[in-house]
Amino acid sequence: MKEKFVKYFKGDTAIWLIIFLLAIFSMLTVYSATGTLAYKKMGGNTSYFLFRHLTFLALGIGITFVVHNISYKVFYSLSQLLVYASVPLLAWTMVRGVSLNEAARWITLPGTGLSFQTSDMAKFALIIYVARILSKNQENIEDPNAAFKPILMWVLIICGLILPANFSTAAMLFAICLVLMFIGRIRIKHLLGVVGVGVVGVVLFVSLALNMSGKGRVSTWKARIENFTSGDSEGNYQSNQSKIAIVNGGLFGRGPGNSIQRNFLPHPYSDFIYAIIVEEYGLIGGFIVLLLYLFLMWRVGAIVRKSQRTFPAFLVIGLAFSLVFQALINMGVAVNVFPVTGQTLPFVSMGGTSIMFTSGALGIILSVSRTVQPLKEETEDESEIEIPEDNY
Amino acid sequence: MSESSTRKEIVGKLFLVYIAVVAFALVIVLKVLWLQVAEHDKWANANTISQKDIIIEPDRGDICATDGRILATSVPFYEIRMDLKCPALTDEVFNRYIDSLSIGLSRVFNDKTAQQYKRKLVSARYRGDRYHLIQRKVDYIQLKELKTLPIFRLGQNKGGFIVQQENKRIQPFVTLASRTIGRYGKWGALVGIEGAYDEELKGEKGIKLVQRIAGNYWMPINDGNEVEPRNGYDVITTMDINIQDVAHQALYNQLSRHNASHGTAILMEVKTGDIRAIVNLKRNSQGTYSEQYNYAIGERTEPGSTFKLPSLMVALEDGFIDLDDSIDTGNGMVRYHDIVVRDTRVHGKLTVQEVFEVSSNVGVTKLITQYYTGNEDRFVKGLKRMGLTEKLGLEIKGERAPYIMFPTDTLWSGVSLPMMSYGYEVAQTPMQILTFYNAVANNGEMMKPRFVKAISDHGEVKKKFNPEVINPSICSKATIAKAKKMLEGVVENGTAKNLSSSNYQIAGKTGTAQIANEKYGYKYQSRTSYQASFVGYFPANNPKYTCIVVVNAPTSGVYYGNLVAGQVFKEIADKVYSTQIDLHGQEVHADNNPLSIPYSRKGYKKDLIEVLKDLKIPYEDLGINSDWVATEKRDSAVRFHNRYVKDLLIPDVKGMGAKDAMFVLENLGLSVVIQGRGSVNEQSINPGTRFRQGDRIVLKLI
Repeated sequence: MKEKFVKYFKGDTAIWLIIFLLAIFSMLTVYSATGTLAYKKMGGNTSYFLFRHLTFLALGIGITFVVHNISYKVFYSLSQLLVYASVPLLAWTMVRGVSLNEAARWITLPGTGLSFQTSDMAKFALIIYVARILSKNQENIEDPNAAFKPILMWVLIICGLILPANFSTAAMLFAICLVLMFIGRIRIKHLLGVVGVGVVGVVLFVSLALNMSGKGRVSTWKARIENFTSGDSEGNYQSNQSKIAIVNGGLFGRGPGNSIQRNFLPHPYSDFIYAIIVEEYGLIGGFIVLLLYLFLMWRVGAIVRKSQRTFPAFLVIGLAFSLVFQALINMGVAVNVFPVTGQTLPFVSMGGTSIMFTSGALGIILSVSRTVQPLKEETEDESEIEIPEDNY
Repeated sequence: MSESSTRKEIVGKLFLVYIAVVAFALVIVLKVLWLQVAEHDKWANANTISQKDIIIEPDRGDICATDGRILATSVPFYEIRMDLKCPALTDEVFNRYIDSLSIGLSRVFNDKTAQQYKRKLVSARYRGDRYHLIQRKVDYIQLKELKTLPIFRLGQNKGGFIVQQENKRIQPFVTLASRTIGRYGKWGALVGIEGAYDEELKGEKGIKLVQRIAGNYWMPINDGNEVEPRNGYDVITTMDINIQDVAHQALYNQLSRHNASHGTAILMEVKTGDIRAIVNLKRNSQGTYSEQYNYAIGERTEPGSTFKLPSLMVALEDGFIDLDDSIDTGNGMVRYHDIVVRDTRVHGKLTVQEVFEVSSNVGVTKLITQYYTGNEDRFVKGLKRMGLTEKLGLEIKGERAPYIMFPTDTLWSGVSLPMMSYGYEVAQTPMQILTFYNAVANNGEMMKPRFVKAISDHGEVKKKFNPEVINPSICSKATIAKAKKMLEGVVENGTAKNLSSSNYQIAGKTGTAQIANEKYGYKYQSRTSYQASFVGYFPANNPKYTCIVVVNAPTSGVYYGNLVAGQVFKEIADKVYSTQIDLHGQEVHADNNPLSIPYSRKGYKKDLIEVLKDLKIPYEDLGINSDWVATEKRDSAVRFHNRYVKDLLIPDVKGMGAKDAMFVLENLGLSVVIQGRGSVNEQSINPGTRFRQGDRIVLKLI
């Protein structure tokens, strides 16, 4: 049984286990949390959202499976193309995208009727591309013109395009790239300079937007930050509801499907799913989910230590860190150590695009782990073995 | 830098990042613990008192007449209560303003004196009543005034002013067709069109989450999950409120005159089966008449002579008789087993046409028994073929099935055939009889009575109901032609001669049936109860409308259908004929009397005089001192009477919703034009201005 599993699900078995456990959590919680939504929108047909979500999860695992069989080297060359393609896509989204809550984040693929969040794609494309530039220039990493400046240019372009519609994603991506650059041995003084530039850029943008009009997303951000900092108990409905959920969860929770706060929390199946997890499965359940993400990060550390090359190392660090970082932000919002943002819990929250791209990222991580595994008896595929002359 | 040191540096930096991640995770866990332990009491029960889902009731749709005028609609009414122990309502405030509040209440409601109001309020305050009822069924205008009164203008928290809104179903035309329009109350729709189209009228409820905020207000939480209510659709009926009005008055007067117990009148359009008017009146305990029961569809009685038409049509269709065949009615009496059938007069030898015209019971029973004795089944099947044995399948609840025996039934006896032939031992509702006569008028095509022609959503038609055919041809065209000839004969030469008119011709049949009281049989309280009816159509040469009038148990002696029911029929027919230009055809107006005095509307005296002078019509002005006059048609002149116009002023409707404003203004007789959506921002006639009935007022909504 175990051998059969390892034969088909190659790479780090622990990461596969994490994926399946998260999927189970996701299924249970989303089914519970969409109860109200089903009652209000689908006339009480709760299985509609369950089956829709199940389909996404199955598709997601399918994507992970397919991607983990692709050599990670493909993404080395593909990343440049994807980053170039991101620019017009993001621009198009900004102008013509589908607007949800005043934020234009979605575009519809022509002919298919499917819509997806372009920032998700751009995010992963940029991370892979940063990993590529870093690894390519490890020899002369001290020279700011070699790696630092090109990376910075692309980070500013992509984050700048995401920023107007989705501040939190842009800021998060910026932070992830900084961390990746830090690990990729860019000099600290350069990084500090970047932080300065980033802060100036945001201030410039916000003041510009504020002067242009009092409407749009800026007012949302302003209100959110004001609510968070002032601790105004009456104005901050969402986080109060979330706190109530967490408090009522206790140590062991109310039990699966017994959430009460799902009726009061907006988006209990995505932005505030962690609150529902704690409410239904208690502190224990919430802790387990948190551990799963930390464990993912730990396994990635193991892959990095084994890796002979820098590109796969930066690649998995970037991808894993982005997932874990996003998860921590989502949880931080739920427990109110962070102002309200719209970040989903990767692979757990309901939402097609988010699950698809998360699955892709996990597939790439597994692909790397499959390749860097110590050479054992199963090395039938020659091309998969790292060849020292390889430049990656 | 060497290969391995690079790796070492990378792994080392990764470890640093990992520590940061774990630290972040730790913060999250600690925050959960903090919330669960330290802030437990603050959040554990925070929700139960501060939130609830509220149901947003949709507006129920209107029921409209065929021209769109509203027959039934929902308007908000308010119940006013007062919290006399409201903490902010101190003795000082109460004592200072109680007098002016009482005066204000007395002025607004005009039902008690200011003293009475004051006494009640003072004693309620003494008792500590926190929910003192001031007035039920307060309309919007009154509410607006109340809000300006002292104490009340302080609101609920400071002035104890409690307002509870409820929607009340009203019928703007009050009694007109009210039973057919139906009733709707808190307990749900019960009868009539309200009941039949409840699904369409009621709409869908909305749900909204509200949260209690400071000051005991419920604030909607915009969480994107609320369900908007969908308002009910309007039901457009086929009823014509003008004709309904005439029919109602005509029947009402006739019932009063004959002290009848109840009556019904229905007007149907021949081609479509549309019900233009339907009146049901029953004497109530006060001795007046009101709409209480839908006799038109719910009361099944022995029709009597009006049933002679289907009887003879069966025989005509079977080819047994023709209009010129003659029959000897002898001395106006004929015996069948233990019963004797009588005519009111001795007619001797009659043709079939004459038998029908004079409504000879003896003639009809003799004709039918002559051909169908021993073959009774064929007669009943003939009735069945013409659709007289089946329900009409009306959407309004309560239609009774017709009662027609078959020879195989256990109750069938030797006298059943002659009895049935002239309308006894069978029972039909007025609507069923009308539908049959309408089929004759419509050349054999039997139309289903249609009450509702469309379902609409703010004027946009959602569903259309087309006229339905029950039976495309109840008998041959030849039989229809003969039936029509007989019906025309009744008015030209027969029992309904008094209904003939020079303008247009009516065709129809009188009926005077003795009714069997359900408990006591035909002789109730040693008196015979009668049902006078008249059913027919007009104009006879090109039928447009069919009408039935049934008056039950007229006890004052005159019980002939032509007199009691026929007059009501004639009044309705005259009104319809005079208002429907397309009925006139090329007929020349026969009335050329130059001295004929017209009915004149009441109006402004100077204008009226001018018009009358111009038309050379004499008028009598006997010391009139008002600007506005009522008129009376006299034999030789129009006479004026004093008329005092009540000081009606345009109310201020600014800020009202469209429905409220329409209700208020239309009730005052104004014609309202609505522009835009939302609430009234501008009104074309200023508040406080005098107006005349029918004036047009334009409301601009924002």
